[in-house]
Amino acid sequence: MQDLIVQGNESTPSIHAQWQEGCLAMWGDSYPENPFELYRPVIKWVESFLADSERPLMLRIELLYVNTSTIRSLMEIFDRLEAAHGKGREVSLQWWYEEENERVAELAEEFREDYLFPFDIIAKPESSV
Amino acid sequence: MEQIDVLSLREAFNRQGIVLCFNGPFSASLIEEIGLALRKHMASFNASQSAVSDVFSVYIEMTQNIRHYSRQKELTGSDAHAVLIVSRREDGAYVVCSGNVVEAADGPALMARLAMLATLDRDQLKLAYKTQLRQPHDPDAATGAGLGLIDLARKARAPLLGTLKALDETRSFFSLCAVI
Repeated sequence: MQDLIVQGNESTPSIHAQWQEGCLAMWGDSYPENPFELYRPVIKWVESFLADSERPLMLRIELLYVNTSTIRSLMEIFDRLEAAHGKGREVSLQWWYEEENERVAELAEEFREDYLFPFDIIAKPESSV
Repeated sequence: MEQIDVLSLREAFNRQGIVLCFNGPFSASLIEEIGLALRKHMASFNASQSAVSDVFSVYIEMTQNIRHYSRQKELTGSDAHAVLIVSRREDGAYVVCSGNVVEAADGPALMARLAMLATLDRDQLKLAYKTQLRQPHDPDAATGAGLGLIDLARKARAPLLGTLKALDETRSFFSLCAVI
């Protein structure tokens, strides 16, 4: 499997999935009309990584504004991490946000409530995105 | 042709605190552009990040709901147009309203859904949201306004206000207002 690199724009995030590092990073805004087109390859990548290797998978997320359709897609990704975690696989997620942007923290917190795998929500002291 | 009275339009906008108004065909790129303008505009009022985020997200859900609906129903011409109004009240609250043509048969279901959402408190809305999120996603759902509508209700500080007016036997005009 290869790395997956998607360049973001105003309404879609940048996505870097690195196979060797076992790291999936997504940052920016995400409110396209049909997010599933954007996230389908990401879901596929995560599935492949979890199936074809035994290594830990780490997600680093710095998403800001996301629409409800994006939330569905993120749930699809996180559900796969949860299933792997249930089978003893090492998976983790860090959701970074700017301290003054409390809506992002609330969004991340609502996700975290539904999962058991390590899920950290981390405030960055100042704007650096 | 009727003379356009720009001054009285301006006065009406100012009186009602309307900061943004659009009437016409919404494309995906137009939604983006107007959304960015809205964010910049709010930032210039020194609105908090949370307020900007809430108003922007309500704007996006409303306009994308309308886009999904008119695409599913294959509405064309002015039936596919949308009205979008953002205003700022004197007490600092923002009011985001949208309006679009719906098939007459869909109107009552939408109004019933709004009435149901209005009975839910914060915790019940959250539960409804999480339940809806776990429902199998049906892209051909009748109104297309499932998760988006609950999300609007959660972001609004008062129950969503919907109105429905018959245009003719087959079409109605649906408007929706959220106070943020």
